[in-house]
Amino acid sequence: MSDETDRSARAGEYVLGLLEGRDAEAAEMEMRTDPVFRSQVEAFAARMNGLDMTATPEVVPSNMWQRISADIEGVSQDSPATAIPPHSSATKVSSRSPMRPAQWMAIAASLLVGVATGYLGGWLTISEPAPVVVVVLDTPENVPGAVFEAFSDNSVRIVPLKDFVVPEGKIMQVWTLYDKSVGPVSLGTMTSSDITKLGAKPFQAPGPEQLYEITLEPFPGSPTGKPTGPILVKGFATLPGQG
Amino acid sequence: MSRAISDDDICDRLLVSVGRGDRAALGELFTREAGRMIAIARRIVRRRDLAEEVVQESFVAAWRAAPRFDPARGRARAWLTTIVRNRSLNLLRDGGRIDLATEDEMSEHRNRDDASSTAYERLDDQDALKQCLERLEPQRRRSVLLSYVVGYSHGEIAAELNVPVGTVKAWIRRSVVALQDCLS
Repeated sequence: MSDETDRSARAGEYVLGLLEGRDAEAAEMEMRTDPVFRSQVEAFAARMNGLDMTATPEVVPSNMWQRISADIEGVSQDSPATAIPPHSSATKVSSRSPMRPAQWMAIAASLLVGVATGYLGGWLTISEPAPVVVVVLDTPENVPGAVFEAFSDNSVRIVPLKDFVVPEGKIMQVWTLYDKSVGPVSLGTMTSSDITKLGAKPFQAPGPEQLYEITLEPFPGSPTGKPTGPILVKGFATLPGQG
Repeated sequence: MSRAISDDDICDRLLVSVGRGDRAALGELFTREAGRMIAIARRIVRRRDLAEEVVQESFVAAWRAAPRFDPARGRARAWLTTIVRNRSLNLLRDGGRIDLATEDEMSEHRNRDDASSTAYERLDDQDALKQCLERLEPQRRRSVLLSYVVGYSHGEIAAELNVPVGTVKAWIRRSVVALQDCLS
């Protein structure tokens, strides 16, 4: 299958509800980061909705509205969708960029970022908290390699979009740079390319131009407390409208 | 047809109002759509009590998410249906809660198949979706309908049609690509 056909197939399977686990997560990431994929999903879902409209309405329990009314008491509404502008100042990122903050900050990777992700309407399982920041992390070849999500409780989630090879005796370590005077700070380690949730850290919520990256480090983590190994992926958080 | 369009327009306007915090608009949307939403959920989760639970939760979720609804990107009824379908599928996939032990499995299977083919037959002959589904080979069409309408997984479709799971996966991938091409 060509890439285009493959995307159509995934969009179709997603609408049918056939993607599960990691495939479903990856599709949800694509909904946020790939406008073409999102449009395909929306267009196909709108057509398939014809089948739902054939359902004969059933009797609605008389007290159901009262229960819903009671349930929404105290439930606050989400903020309206924030447009996520594509950000494509695609400067090549060296796989072994020097680890000096000034240079990190100068490097702009191609990425898409959303703050207050209100992007998906009904497509997400909306009972789950939405991330406050989503950053696409690119590989040194400038292709999306992972999605980084930060939540309001300062926990983060990494969704790898490819299988990273982790040689024996190595581990993937997630870093952020939120203050140049502090330098890069470890958010935690990952042993595999599975979706990984890392616990809350005591520092502030992600801000604009904050750098995130994953490096390959000796097990069980960088011996120096700072990145020492090759960069697998990296990207910057940017507020909508910037960059 | 014009009536359907106007119903859609009304629902779009209602959901936009809900997004601005209008509870009465949610009530109106509920009055119009809850019955159909229960039916849609029931095609997937089967049990009436579970379908009602799904729809109740879906309206609460819709209240929360309504500010994010953008009528330029889709219709309110399709948006609401997506929430109901996703929640129904989650309930089904999480398993455990749906106990079919008390039901006759054979007749249950027949009912599921009937529900999906009824949905297809009820599509208007002029509807492009009907015409495009018609072009698929019958087994492939059944696979698509069983997954979309009643929420069957690849494995369940394979068991139903007595073919390998890999075959079902390939059928569905090709069918959804063909459908999108045909519909565009």
